[in-house]
Amino acid sequence: MDRPVGASYQRFPRVRIRDLKDDYAKFELRDTDASMANALRRVMIAEVPTVAIDLVEIEVNSSVLNDEFIAHRLGLIPLTSAAAMQMRFSRDCDACDGDGSCEYCSVEFHLAARATDSDQTLEVTSNDLRSMDPKVCPVDQARAYQQALGGTDPFGANTSNENRGILIVKLRRGQELRLRAIARKGIGKDHAKWSPAATVTFMYEPDIRINEELMETLTVEERRRLIESSPTKVFKLDSANQVVVDNAEAYTYDDEVIKHAEALGKPGLVEINAKEDSFIFTVETTGAITAYELIMNAITVLRQKLDAVRLQDDDGDLGELGAHLGGP
Amino acid sequence: MSADQYSALRELFRPHVESFDYFLDKGLDEMIQSIRPMVIRDPNSNNTLKIILEKGHVLSPMRDARSGVLPLYPQECRQARITYHGEFKVDVCFQYNEGAQIRHTFNFGHLPIMLMSKLCHLRGADPHKLVFHGEEATEMGGYFICGGMERLVRILILQKRNYPMGLVRSSFLKRGAGYTDKAVVIRCVQRDQSSVSMKLYYLQNGSARLGFWLGGREFLLPVGIVLKALIDASDREIFTSLTCCFSDKHGKGKGVVSTQLIGERAQIVLDEVRNLSLLTRTQCLVHIGQYFRSVMEGFEKDDYETVAEAVLKDYIFVHLENNHDKFNLLIFMLQKLYALVDQTASPDNADALQYQEALLPGHLITIFLKDRLQDWLRKSKRLIIEEVAKNKGFDLGNALEIRKFVTKYTSSVSRAIESMIKVGKVNAQSGLDLPQRDGMTIQAERLNFHRYISHFRSVHRGSAFAKMRTTSVRKLLPESWGFLCPVHTPDGEPCGLLNHMTSTCRISSFYNSEGVVKNFGEMKKLLSAELVRVGMNPVLPKIERTGPPEVLHVHLDGRILGTIASATIEKAVNYLRTLKLLAHSGIPEDLEVGYVPLSFSGAFPGLYLFTNPARFVRPVRNLFILSDGKQSIELIGPFEQAFMEIRCPDGGDGGRQEQFPATHEEIHPTAILSVVANLTPWSDHNQSPRNMYQCQMAKQTMGFCGQALKFRTDVKAFHLQTPQTPIVRTGTYNKYNMDEFPSGTNAIVAVLSYTGYDMEDAMILNKSAVDRGMFRGHIYQTECIDLSTKSRDNVPETFAKSVLSRDTSSAIDSDGLPRLGQTVHPNEQYYSVHNSLTGVIRPVRLKGTEPAFIDYVAVNGAGSKHGLQKANIRLRRVRNPIIGDKFSSRHGQKGVCSQLWPDIDMPFSANTGMRPDLIINPHAFPSRMTIAMLLESMAAKAGSLHGKFIDATPFANSVKQDKDPRKPNSIVDELGPMLASYGFNYHGKEVLYSGVFGTEMDCEIFIGPVYYQRLRHMVSDKFQVRTTGRIDQITRQPIGGRKHGGGIRFGEMERDALLAHGSSYLLHDRLHSCSDYHIADVCSLCGSLLTATMIESNNQKKAKHEMLGLPTVRPPKNFACQACKTSKGMETVAMPYVFRYLAAELAAMNIKLELRLSNKSGLLPSQES
Repeated sequence: MDRPVGASYQRFPRVRIRDLKDDYAKFELRDTDASMANALRRVMIAEVPTVAIDLVEIEVNSSVLNDEFIAHRLGLIPLTSAAAMQMRFSRDCDACDGDGSCEYCSVEFHLAARATDSDQTLEVTSNDLRSMDPKVCPVDQARAYQQALGGTDPFGANTSNENRGILIVKLRRGQELRLRAIARKGIGKDHAKWSPAATVTFMYEPDIRINEELMETLTVEERRRLIESSPTKVFKLDSANQVVVDNAEAYTYDDEVIKHAEALGKPGLVEINAKEDSFIFTVETTGAITAYELIMNAITVLRQKLDAVRLQDDDGDLGELGAHLGGP
Repeated sequence: MSADQYSALRELFRPHVESFDYFLDKGLDEMIQSIRPMVIRDPNSNNTLKIILEKGHVLSPMRDARSGVLPLYPQECRQARITYHGEFKVDVCFQYNEGAQIRHTFNFGHLPIMLMSKLCHLRGADPHKLVFHGEEATEMGGYFICGGMERLVRILILQKRNYPMGLVRSSFLKRGAGYTDKAVVIRCVQRDQSSVSMKLYYLQNGSARLGFWLGGREFLLPVGIVLKALIDASDREIFTSLTCCFSDKHGKGKGVVSTQLIGERAQIVLDEVRNLSLLTRTQCLVHIGQYFRSVMEGFEKDDYETVAEAVLKDYIFVHLENNHDKFNLLIFMLQKLYALVDQTASPDNADALQYQEALLPGHLITIFLKDRLQDWLRKSKRLIIEEVAKNKGFDLGNALEIRKFVTKYTSSVSRAIESMIKVGKVNAQSGLDLPQRDGMTIQAERLNFHRYISHFRSVHRGSAFAKMRTTSVRKLLPESWGFLCPVHTPDGEPCGLLNHMTSTCRISSFYNSEGVVKNFGEMKKLLSAELVRVGMNPVLPKIERTGPPEVLHVHLDGRILGTIASATIEKAVNYLRTLKLLAHSGIPEDLEVGYVPLSFSGAFPGLYLFTNPARFVRPVRNLFILSDGKQSIELIGPFEQAFMEIRCPDGGDGGRQEQFPATHEEIHPTAILSVVANLTPWSDHNQSPRNMYQCQMAKQTMGFCGQALKFRTDVKAFHLQTPQTPIVRTGTYNKYNMDEFPSGTNAIVAVLSYTGYDMEDAMILNKSAVDRGMFRGHIYQTECIDLSTKSRDNVPETFAKSVLSRDTSSAIDSDGLPRLGQTVHPNEQYYSVHNSLTGVIRPVRLKGTEPAFIDYVAVNGAGSKHGLQKANIRLRRVRNPIIGDKFSSRHGQKGVCSQLWPDIDMPFSANTGMRPDLIINPHAFPSRMTIAMLLESMAAKAGSLHGKFIDATPFANSVKQDKDPRKPNSIVDELGPMLASYGFNYHGKEVLYSGVFGTEMDCEIFIGPVYYQRLRHMVSDKFQVRTTGRIDQITRQPIGGRKHGGGIRFGEMERDALLAHGSSYLLHDRLHSCSDYHIADVCSLCGSLLTATMIESNNQKKAKHEMLGLPTVRPPKNFACQACKTSKGMETVAMPYVFRYLAAELAAMNIKLELRLSNKSGLLPSQES
């Protein structure tokens, strides 16, 4: 590494996790800038690999939905993808020529359902999918399994609601659905079904300053109205009827309070600035991987991408990392 | 599921079904009995045979099966491409020489049966049964199935029946010398719905002529003769009855319709008759009889008086039976004509709905069937007479022989009806008094539900008007308020001619609200009695002595009942309106009380009552009579509406309230909109053309065309994979169960200018949203392959697969038909046909450029002796949204997808993390002013947060019950607090962050869910691209046409553009190198382009090469000029091939085209001659 590193620009971002559940995380990212935060967001949404059904061979389908429809619905079922980082993309799997039926790059599923004599419609759900690999299965199956083991619900959902699975199709008496499906590793950039993120978003941490001097000139009623002018609950009146910041992060940068202050003829009553170097992330996952894995994998992927850029400079041979780079 | 669930939907289709029901119930018999018996006289023996049609029978559709006769269901007809028809029989009586009548029942073939009519097997079926039989649960019927096609009779506008209209038309001048442009026109309709139009022309000399059409030409009779021929009236009586409406004492006061000129005119009318020395009624009849005997069919042998009586019966005021009534009406028409001439009454506007009614399917079929039966009688008679003339021993009493002749043409009757429905052509000798001969039926396309409904609610003005230059017929007139939708008409060619009935508009029928056939005779009696009670003087003896303004004439369905004093008439009208509302008064609820008040040279005053069917009617609330809720709903027609005071909640008092207090009130302002126009949310906040565009586009959306799609065999069906119900909807949406056929998706729409790919009505779709299934769709195409008709040279062909073929990879199964679920790629075989003569198996390949899935294969008539010959193959093509597909919101805001943008690059909201599904440009709003779309976005956002649907019925503000001043008045102020309560911006804006940079965007972005529709116009059906390919045989230029892989024409204007740019190289490339580049051999000696012939090169060199094993080099071709007999001057010149073709064409005309060649460096500039 003979390139000089601009040490003066180097920063050491800090992360503070506020809340971490299996499919939800909230953390602060400090001492870095928007490009970094946005890169993390983008990678979490589009480039953290998961496993999803990608190839469906339909043997029998006499349901009301056509083959492509069912295949599409199967693809969108989140599968537990904790192992996805270690898996290979089937396009560059050496073991199987990319036909998708090997242990390194794919998982096979089977589904066979037939509505027999009952008059009720049979609901074919993700619970009817039989995985050939216990590590990869529909997320709600995994949840049910964990519950059966006696453990608490890892996702924090209310346990009273029985696990019904994700509905694929409803069958009438005599209708049948039989298929083989192959799940593969992929990233959200290629198709949204591989995206592990339900929502990833960040906001700049707001820096709210109340001009106490001006505030004193307001009546209590005016203060109350000022507080109510914000659609989200950012301010509150304390016991001494002073306007204080209740929840700064509820602020949506909608400028409603500032506009209200201007309308009162008191500009500068409240000053809100975004802190350019601290971000509050909210991450929700589809359940394919946990929120923690999503963040960690995203960082790994991001690091790999950066490595690839560095490598590109050296010899241009990107190897497997090229896949993560995407684009030219 | 109950049948009533869809009663609102059924109501929309009622005019179609009811009119056909009446045809089956009573109309058929009535029509058959109205056909004049045919008398055949044997000139040899003077024996006569009378053929009387007595009764018709139509049976339910049946089919033959091995286990006997089974009911035929519509679904089978669609599948097998046959007609849903039932047997049609007529009882015919033969009377030989006044002897006893002998009845025979003849089979006249099959009549198409309207779905859901009384003979349809599905009539009254509940949704379960309908679904069981492969129909929609909502199936409403109203159409016919002919050869598998669903066709319905188009409702046409006709002149209002039995009402004399005063018209001014320049075309009347052409009737002859002395004619003026003024006439009173009446369209008289008989009980069997056939009609005869009559015109009473005004002559310059003050007289009038009565004109009617008979046998293809117009006959014009002096009105005096007709008056005298109708009844035994003296000249004095005629004079007084004509002039009674004039009185000196009124001068030019209100309501005076006559001037003193009327006396002179009456004199002229009478003198005309006297000049022909016709003094008595008999003389007049004989005069008419002489004139008409040659043209009246079947009266060749009768005396003049009988002929004249027949003319009066069949052509003069056919809606009346009594000659006194006819006389009175004619007098009235003359008075109206003179009032029109003297401008004491204004002319009526023939384009106004006030003077119009509808042509209904049942009526059309009755009229046409009558014509066909008469034609059959004529043909049969001709056959018999020919036989009588040929065969001396032929006896008319020989029933067996007669039967043979009579049955010869029976099937032509039903065949004509079926073909009329199939192609819409009325093939009748006379025009049947119909406005047009073709285009009577249209196909009921099930592209989506909006389009389907619109077909049945559409009303066409007539194809004759489409060609007219003037636009006055297309004008939106105030008379159609509440009956025809002002919004729902297509723009462009049929604009204003093809209208749609409003959602509340109905058409009066033969049935009353309890479904019982109305008794018109009873009604007439009751009405007269009631009228007499309120002060009407019946016209009983014969002649009346007064006229307006003292008394007003009372007409009932074109018959003058009597007169009523103008002072008491308002009371009488109110009384009649009360009776209309009373359930058991016997007065029909849809009685039209057309009270035309006295005015200063306005419409001719009178009280015109109508009970007849085929009138437009609509409900309004009567304010004064019985205001106890339900009972106060009165049905009014367009004729009376023009003279009524109806208040609309949206309209205020219109400044008339004090002088003319409202007597009625609109039930809801949306009553003026059609079903489709009613579905636009808050359409009262949009610029009106946008609502019109939305009506257009709603009918082009790709939605759920039907839930029974699996059983349907439409040639092309569009289907949206995952449609949604709109969050923001109007009351109409629920009323008509639109959730059964949804047509769009609630897309999160951000209004911002992002990336530049949303300029000029383009829109950006979120790729991930599309990945997750938004706007995904399919096209289903059914191919019906019928080998029994297609086979060439009458060689039977069947579906089969070669036994030798072991190929299991192909899509063709062992029976020659494709396997279900198989993918077929373009140019791949998908079924094969076995020729039984040659034994050759001919595979058929898939056309087009898209792969298709085999969705469904059905075999028709399996087990027929020829084997597998008829099959329906349904192909499914996947249509996921791609760049170039068209989408639109419900506010006439269409756009084309310009990019499938990656999710991560889309702007996102910091607090919710939402990315929009769709981005449109803010420039779409300022000029189009579709405020409702912005409201919809806000409302849907609030609604989805709140978890409820938002009612977006237009004009809701004006009908609001509580006018609480504290409550917000605008929709924004209702929605804003809702949004704010969930922590969102009051106006629906949000702070978004750039997806690419992660930075906050300077402006707040308007974002929210909007219901978007995918339109059926897709690039996959439209793109056209070519590099090389087929060329035209003659010109060697690329062919045109997308289907054949042709190119897009580079025309003159495109050429001009390139010339203007000076890009000559490109021009040369496009028009020459890439087109018909050709190197021609030209003889420079004679300058001919055509005389070059090839000389055989000496093969020695080639042989030598071959012997030595050297590669054979193609010897240069040698050309010689045929004319000059030398190859000396041959040169090669590059030119377009068409130029050579031009030379050849010119040569064929003996013109020589000579080229003078020179080098570029040549001294002479090249010349061509």
